[in-house]
Amino acid sequence: MMEAETNKLHELVKPHVDSFDYFVERGLEMAVFNLQPLEVEQRLTATTLRMWLEKPVVSPPMKDSAQLLDHRLLPAERNCMQCRLAGLTYRGLLTVDVCFQWNNGPVIRHNMSCGRMPIMVKSNLCHLRGLDQRQLVSLKEEALEMGGYFICSGLERIMRLLIVPKRNHIVALKRSAFRKRGSAYTDKGVLMRCVRPDQSSVTLRVYYLQHGSATLGFMYAISQLILCQFCRLDFLLVQVGDCNSLNLEYLRSRRQEFLVPVGIILKALIETNDREIFDQLTSVHEEAHNGIKGAVGTQLIVQRAKIILDEVRTYAVFTRFQCVQFIGERFRPLLEVSESLSAVAVGEKVLKDFMFVHLDNSRDKFNLLIHILHRLFAFADGTAAVDNADALQHQELLLPGHLLNVFVKDRMQNWLSRIKTVISKEVEGNTSFDLQDLTKLLKLMEKVSLTSICKDVEYLLTTGNLSTQSTLDLQQASGFTVVAEKLNFLRFISHFRSVHRGAFFAQLRTTTVRKLLPESWGFLCPVHTPDGTPCGLLNHLTSLCQVSTDLDTRGHLKDPITIRKSITTALVGLGMIPIMPLIARLSPPEHLVVLLDGRLLGHMRSDLIPAAATHLRKLKVTGTSEVPDDLEVAYVPCTFAGAYPGLFLYTTPARFLRPVKQLESFFRSDEVLELIAPFEQAYMDIRCPDGGDTRKDIKLAVATHEEICPTAMLSVVANLTPWSDHNQSPRNMYQCQMGKQTMGFPGQAIKFRSDNKLYRLQTPQSPIAQTATYKDYHVDEFPVGTNAVVAVLAYTGYDMEDAMILNKSSMERGMCHGQIYKSETVDLTEMRQRGDGIVNVFSRSDGQAGRRTVSGMDQTSFIDRDGLPHVGQVLKNEDPFCSVLNTMTGRVKLSKLKASEMVVVDSVAVIGTGYKEPLQKVNIRMRHGRNPVIGDKFSSRHGQKGVLSQLWPDIDMPFSAVTGMRPDIIINPHAFPSRMTIGMLLESMAGKGGAVLGKFVDATPFQNVGKKEFMLEYESKKKHDFKSPCHHPESAITEFGQQLASHGFNYHGTEVMYSGVLGTELTCEIFIGIVYYQRLRHMVSDKFQVRSMGAVNPVTRQPVKGRKLGGGIRFGEMERDALLAHGAAYLLHDRLHACSDYHIADICSLCGSLLSPVPLLSDKSGSGLAFGLPLLTSKVKKSVCRVCNTSRGIERVAMPFVFRYLAAELAAMNIKLTLNVKDGH
Amino acid sequence: MGGGTDQTGDGAGTAGLIPEPVPLEPVTYTCGDCGTDNSLKPGDVIQCRECGYRILYKKRTRRIVQYEAR
Repeated sequence: MMEAETNKLHELVKPHVDSFDYFVERGLEMAVFNLQPLEVEQRLTATTLRMWLEKPVVSPPMKDSAQLLDHRLLPAERNCMQCRLAGLTYRGLLTVDVCFQWNNGPVIRHNMSCGRMPIMVKSNLCHLRGLDQRQLVSLKEEALEMGGYFICSGLERIMRLLIVPKRNHIVALKRSAFRKRGSAYTDKGVLMRCVRPDQSSVTLRVYYLQHGSATLGFMYAISQLILCQFCRLDFLLVQVGDCNSLNLEYLRSRRQEFLVPVGIILKALIETNDREIFDQLTSVHEEAHNGIKGAVGTQLIVQRAKIILDEVRTYAVFTRFQCVQFIGERFRPLLEVSESLSAVAVGEKVLKDFMFVHLDNSRDKFNLLIHILHRLFAFADGTAAVDNADALQHQELLLPGHLLNVFVKDRMQNWLSRIKTVISKEVEGNTSFDLQDLTKLLKLMEKVSLTSICKDVEYLLTTGNLSTQSTLDLQQASGFTVVAEKLNFLRFISHFRSVHRGAFFAQLRTTTVRKLLPESWGFLCPVHTPDGTPCGLLNHLTSLCQVSTDLDTRGHLKDPITIRKSITTALVGLGMIPIMPLIARLSPPEHLVVLLDGRLLGHMRSDLIPAAATHLRKLKVTGTSEVPDDLEVAYVPCTFAGAYPGLFLYTTPARFLRPVKQLESFFRSDEVLELIAPFEQAYMDIRCPDGGDTRKDIKLAVATHEEICPTAMLSVVANLTPWSDHNQSPRNMYQCQMGKQTMGFPGQAIKFRSDNKLYRLQTPQSPIAQTATYKDYHVDEFPVGTNAVVAVLAYTGYDMEDAMILNKSSMERGMCHGQIYKSETVDLTEMRQRGDGIVNVFSRSDGQAGRRTVSGMDQTSFIDRDGLPHVGQVLKNEDPFCSVLNTMTGRVKLSKLKASEMVVVDSVAVIGTGYKEPLQKVNIRMRHGRNPVIGDKFSSRHGQKGVLSQLWPDIDMPFSAVTGMRPDIIINPHAFPSRMTIGMLLESMAGKGGAVLGKFVDATPFQNVGKKEFMLEYESKKKHDFKSPCHHPESAITEFGQQLASHGFNYHGTEVMYSGVLGTELTCEIFIGIVYYQRLRHMVSDKFQVRSMGAVNPVTRQPVKGRKLGGGIRFGEMERDALLAHGAAYLLHDRLHACSDYHIADICSLCGSLLSPVPLLSDKSGSGLAFGLPLLTSKVKKSVCRVCNTSRGIERVAMPFVFRYLAAELAAMNIKLTLNVKDGH
Repeated sequence: MGGGTDQTGDGAGTAGLIPEPVPLEPVTYTCGDCGTDNSLKPGDVIQCRECGYRILYKKRTRRIVQYEAR
């Protein structure tokens, strides 16, 4: 295979790998650059120390002594496969320059290690990057290794793609929760998630107030230190927040929203005057436009502008200086700023760090805020519609690299602030401390380890939890990573394509977020989502969906400034009126705004915009200009109270992208692919081959783009379902789930892996009916099923209710035979205590003279001389497989097998650990052979799952009259009518035809749609001839029917069959053909649960639950009700009493107490009661009531033990339980 | 392969007897990288003598695992 061929597979994990490369190569540097340097002042010596970080470098993974796998003979690079096998983390060193500067003097750099950063496999730092298949195989990796995951302690973990609000994008929202901000607040607001170039973000919200004004809010996590110092926050906040008092709830989470009147921000941003602000705010309104389509401004805005300006006056701030000072004074206590900083400087800092952080220019920020207010007021007046925040239009992805970038930045900042506290404490407490002494400083810095940064990253990857105080502007703190299970290839690949909506939405009771919206067409697969709890929240990217990156097509980092310049020049040439230097009074619908990445570029005449958009699309695909190929050109046209009109351009990373054809008539003769994003898609005309365009009566002229193929809307897994267009859609969803639970061939390098559990199908086959994507994604390298001869008939009754019958001889020939590999890692280094030498070694008890096992069991048959099992050894439950000798105590500890079946020791890998250490770590892999047995689950590829109900002898199977063939599998005809999986019927026929011809069949869905001639012919035929069955001339059924007929089979795929038992001809012809069957991983051997005796709960003496403990299955209220309704009293008594906590108690009938009777103490042979039950051997001893002091009234009564427990619990609460014991007659 | 054989023979036969102290005999492992056989005694460092690789695999036992094939 050529490298180019595997590209399609690598394309699938590209968002992961690319974003990690960005993180390592660019993002980290940018993050470090944007860190706030720390400043410590020593008043005594009048020195100030400035400290900051520079030049972060991540080096490729090396063998490190900490994980003890190094050797001078080995190449220095660490190997992915070794990490997996030895349970290590694949990581590389991160170093950073710590810079010191005293009193603005020369800078002293000190290179320090930040620990070891986990490295993504196949990223630029990985040794597997760029290797061809041959090299990969020689390194004991998969030939088709795609990477995109991390190896943490031997486990492959991936960072989930999460959906976050689209960056630098304005969304109008209506939330009743907004009202809680204060009394004047309405439910209307505008949200913008502003993202800095280093990927850290601040979400701004602008709220509409009842009296016509607006406030701007942002979240900020107050640091613990600050909180302790300022208890008078309340006072400050009331002033800043205008009407918001500090909520104690918020205080605890330390995340607080700060609300500032917009007027103050407007005035603080630039040197301006009330007149200018007024003009700007009212520029959107033009009297003449009232009531015209697209007019968003209303008369009310004039009054609102006045209110906003009046509001500022009430704070007695008039100039920019005063406004900034005002902000600075209010925010000073919250920010960690040195006291020497003036209020104005603090105010500027607030504006820089929290206000529209994606923009660097105050003028731009001002313009944007004006635009946001226009938008808010249009929304409030109903001239612009509310946006649906759940729609993909307003969303983008949180990529692994971006999250890491934000996280590492946060950790580094945290480190700096911790260092600061340590140094300033020393400066304050120790007068002799010399701030200028570098060695002393470095010694001090040892207290706060810099290596914790990478430790935190590793923690994030292994647990998925963010260990930060601030939430990094994210909605969740956990669930960021998952293990990429290699159950089979489909499951593995799906992990990389899955997109989660966020943990927060999983708890939401409303189902609106789960809805399938038309906006996700082509980006998220409508079929591939699980049913049940995560339904609609866990989606999968379509096979062609890409994600925009920070890199351009040539692999260089995008330069936003040159891009902006080139786009601006292009737009100005097309008629845009730039916003600078003077703002004209331009209002919709005549002029619309032009925004690029959340920056107001200018205005444009609305009649010029469509042509401009077209021109931009042209520039986009030519690749010669600076206009990037993933530019999003969203022209929102004027409507009556629709979305806010304008031309919105985006070049940001992390957007969804997908290629579509630009139509031939549109630009050039040859086919041009354009990458489009969800926001622009909503305003584009894209033709789909199966759409209305195939009909004559609809004009073709409107469409400017065309889908590449109809299957582009499906995910990789959904694309593999043959003829999925013939199935009822839920069945295709089920198949997407079951395809991922199938036992298959998980990988070619499974020999070099040590997964805890690995499923493997012994004899997998290529399906006869394959879709086009089957080849594209190399699924044949990892097949997941077997072609089976399937007959559809009700033969024995054992195939009722989705049961299926398997031919016993097929099973014996090895059909669907599978294995489970389970690995046990015994690591003695974990048992080691600090300071101890090597105490535990692997050894058989007779390895050293005089050593004996405790049990005296003969181990030699199980355990070899090295204390490990023999390879190939058969083991049963409770057999020892490994023996560890404690050299201090001389005791031998045997590890015993816990398995319900026979297992074979498949391999024993001994792993070298420390330098010059004896054997301390082994990996023992057991193989469980799994023949199909009754109760195992199977499924076709059409959501038709069934349970094996009988292994039917071959001789008793029905056989074909012509060929004499017996089916492998019999399923019941009732599986079809209600489920309507016509695709399965097609597969059966096509499989039969393909098997006869020896050819694979193309089963791609939507093959013939859009072929105009066929459709037209079909339509006309349908019109004229209603009665005779009319197949689509090129429909699959015609094709395969004819194929079968030409080879002497029945056209409809049926065959005359004879009963195998009676030898008589079956009265009807049987539909029989070849269907690809999957064996699902759910097997009875792992599931059966049975109990007659066993562990009981010590408190209630009822059976425990849980299969592992040998417990029972709960016989609950509803089950009880069923038995009651049946009147099955004896059974009820048996289940709930005799088989549960049966107990015989002594009761004193005189006082009625259950607790006072105690056994007579005179009994010296011990208690007659064992666990409350009278022993049969011992004599029944009389009890005596402690209250009545007599044994006269003692009666023996059977009762559930919990009743006694209840009595005891009640007694503990001073409640006496009296039993009225009478003779039962 | 010779080093990997089990001198004690069938395990079940010695069950009743007191096991005699067996001299420490090496067990053979195959290197995971170069495939060389390495005989290691208990207490030896786990490392291939040829290439220094530190993951070794135990060889399949020469004992009869299943006496009757049924």
